[in-house]
Amino acid sequence: MRVLILFCAISLMGFIGCGPDEPYNADDIEDIDLGGQTSVEGAFVQIFQQPAANLNAEQIAMHFKGDVAFGDLFVTAPSEVNSGLGPIFNQNSCENCHVSNGKSPFPSSQGDLRGMLLRLSIPGADVHGEPLNVPGFGGQLQTKAVFGKSPEATLTWQEIEEIRQYVDGDEVKLYRYQMDIINPYIPFPSNVMRSIRMAPLVVGLGLLEAIRESDILANADVNDLNQDGISGKPNRVWNYRTQQFELGRFGWKAGQPNLLQQTAAAYNQDMGITNPYFAVESSLNQIQGDGLGDEPEIDEQTLKTATFYAQSLAVPKRRNATDAEVMLGRKIFYNIKCTDCHRPKFVTGQHEYDFLSNQTIFPYTDLLLHDMGPDLADNRPEYEANGFEWRTAPLWGIGLTKLVGGHSNYLHDGRAKSLEEAIMWHGGEAETSRERFRSLSKAERTSLIRFLESL
Amino acid sequence: MKFVLKLSILSSILILSIGCGDETTEPSGDYKAVITNVSNDVILKTYEDLFNKTESFVTTLNTLYISPTGLNLDAARQAWRDARVPWEQSEGFLFGPVDQKGIDPSIDSWPVNQPDLEAVLNSPNALTKTYIDGLDGTLKGFHTLEFLLFGPTGNKDISTFTPRQIEYLKACAESLHGATQELYFSWTPEQQNYVDNLLKAGEPGNSVYPSQKSVLQEFVNGMISIADEVANGKINDPLVQQNVSFEESRFSANSKQDFADNIRSIRNAYLGTFNTSSGLGLSSVISANNVALDVKVRQHIDAAINAIEAIPGTFTTAIFNDKSSVEYAQEQVRALQAVLESEVLPLISNL
Repeated sequence: MRVLILFCAISLMGFIGCGPDEPYNADDIEDIDLGGQTSVEGAFVQIFQQPAANLNAEQIAMHFKGDVAFGDLFVTAPSEVNSGLGPIFNQNSCENCHVSNGKSPFPSSQGDLRGMLLRLSIPGADVHGEPLNVPGFGGQLQTKAVFGKSPEATLTWQEIEEIRQYVDGDEVKLYRYQMDIINPYIPFPSNVMRSIRMAPLVVGLGLLEAIRESDILANADVNDLNQDGISGKPNRVWNYRTQQFELGRFGWKAGQPNLLQQTAAAYNQDMGITNPYFAVESSLNQIQGDGLGDEPEIDEQTLKTATFYAQSLAVPKRRNATDAEVMLGRKIFYNIKCTDCHRPKFVTGQHEYDFLSNQTIFPYTDLLLHDMGPDLADNRPEYEANGFEWRTAPLWGIGLTKLVGGHSNYLHDGRAKSLEEAIMWHGGEAETSRERFRSLSKAERTSLIRFLESL
Repeated sequence: MKFVLKLSILSSILILSIGCGDETTEPSGDYKAVITNVSNDVILKTYEDLFNKTESFVTTLNTLYISPTGLNLDAARQAWRDARVPWEQSEGFLFGPVDQKGIDPSIDSWPVNQPDLEAVLNSPNALTKTYIDGLDGTLKGFHTLEFLLFGPTGNKDISTFTPRQIEYLKACAESLHGATQELYFSWTPEQQNYVDNLLKAGEPGNSVYPSQKSVLQEFVNGMISIADEVANGKINDPLVQQNVSFEESRFSANSKQDFADNIRSIRNAYLGTFNTSSGLGLSSVISANNVALDVKVRQHIDAAINAIEAIPGTFTTAIFNDKSSVEYAQEQVRALQAVLESEVLPLISNL
């Protein structure tokens, strides 16, 4: 009965006409410029590599410098150029994880993990509330090493298939991965918590940084006082420069407060490149340290230049936004309350870079943590985020994933092979919305997917 | 009410079943001929040439392996230069499988990881193609081969080559050839047929290009990227730092040739030409809309190539002795980038 009512409601809602001459509501397309004035139009493979449309000449020059830094390949020390890789690392450049700046695909072989890495910790937290490092392995598994050193371990996985059913009887196959660590360079402790992370989309990060903290906190409802089933919890994370706790915004669990620290941590942990922000090697206190004392291996300017590149990329505009099917999908998206977490709209505050300030943006995220249920849980806490919680992922650009990257792998660990699978993995606070999705007709589900593809 | 409800359900079904939402806005013109020529006769032909030239390169190293003479070394060095041409001429369209499949790092990683290369050469590891395939990009591809073939000062004598170095060269060239095969096969219709995405742009079921215009935008962005890399990376870093360590092809003194071929890559896609063949390129789209702009772009392309080739001596010496000629070449490439960015791209985007 509920299904029938819902179907009627959606059908009514969907009564918006068809054809190129039909009028549409302005509200339905106010989000075409997803990234405000940074937005650019287009649907091609290099679309995530465009400078923001509102940069001035000086900023464009700086952006292109950042582009070079983002592509720089690091090599073993001592070297004349780009020295200091590793000695243990995940990749040797920003670009080799963030291929074309898009979301990383799930790897096709153990030999080349591309943008995938494994976070590690043991139970407990340090004085800042940060996860405790695993003795001998640190906070991240480095799966590559310079010659003469050993990768910390090799990752292997098995795909596990399960079938779920829509209310209309259609089936969808869901896949997840059972990950295993083999060939550790020293015995691997037994009490380690692990979390697979895929490199996310790079565009739009500067705008997320520019959202006012008060606007993010306005959506927080940690104890669900309004009883809508959605909590929305801000992560509070340690800023290593200001030496204080700040709102977490970046990373799959919002574990980083700003892009400079995020970038500095990636140089340090992913590439083994020490920098003024994180000046000790990821292998410190391990038997694989390089013992060179050449820290920092990049200077503050390089760090800032690479960070600026991420901050100054354009967000692509929506495509096909006025198509009837897309508009219907958008209505359904709102109607089944995906927007409770995937908050459509913010107006940014003041940022040190003017082109990010006062922008009306549509990231479709609240930047808050939500319990996503046991299926998605990594069971590894990170600051305030417990093992079930994830930060709502932004959806802008998601419709270009396949075009840019040649794949459609979604979610933090890349397990979903389609948008439909990604939705069906939602649980916990998103369970009600997922159940509404599960109750839709095939045509309505398709419309919703078309809307996501327009982002 | 009942009637309205039924009607609404009916119309929803109608909306969804006839798929009127699938319509995309096509550009007013038909650019299929341009896209087809640039895809088949520039991009595919360049990758085919790269595949063939790296095969010839492997042959010269097999000969060097059997008979390590000065003449055979010269032949291998020339074959390296010959193979380098189509690679540099492909850098104006670095999109698709070259990135998506992670092929680029196996072909053109720079700088060379010299400490690790030294360590591998000093190790007992068997230097096979499979072994080299498994190494990181900074231990294989064009630049590692260049470093080994020409030596740190560019004039390594055949008598100083160790057997391990020649073994490494041979296996590394085979690995490079394998990477160029993967790239070529990714594109070619007989294999994985990536080119079909471009040829059938805007047609139903194309998951890459929703319109012909989007392919044209891709082409222009590819050109802008390489102009940027030449001006602001390849030329700028050694020039501004006054440090030859930042020069990409300094061991072979091939940098000027590299840079000029990068700009020729832009010219090939712009004019639709490759070696002796010619057909429609982006130029025809621009000239149909703005004749003066087309002339301007051609002039900027030629000026950039001429300025690079006019740098006296090698790039290595010129960054110290002829700074003004290097700066002039950089300005010309920047001017080309600017016209592509601020005039050509907007014209294409507004088609």
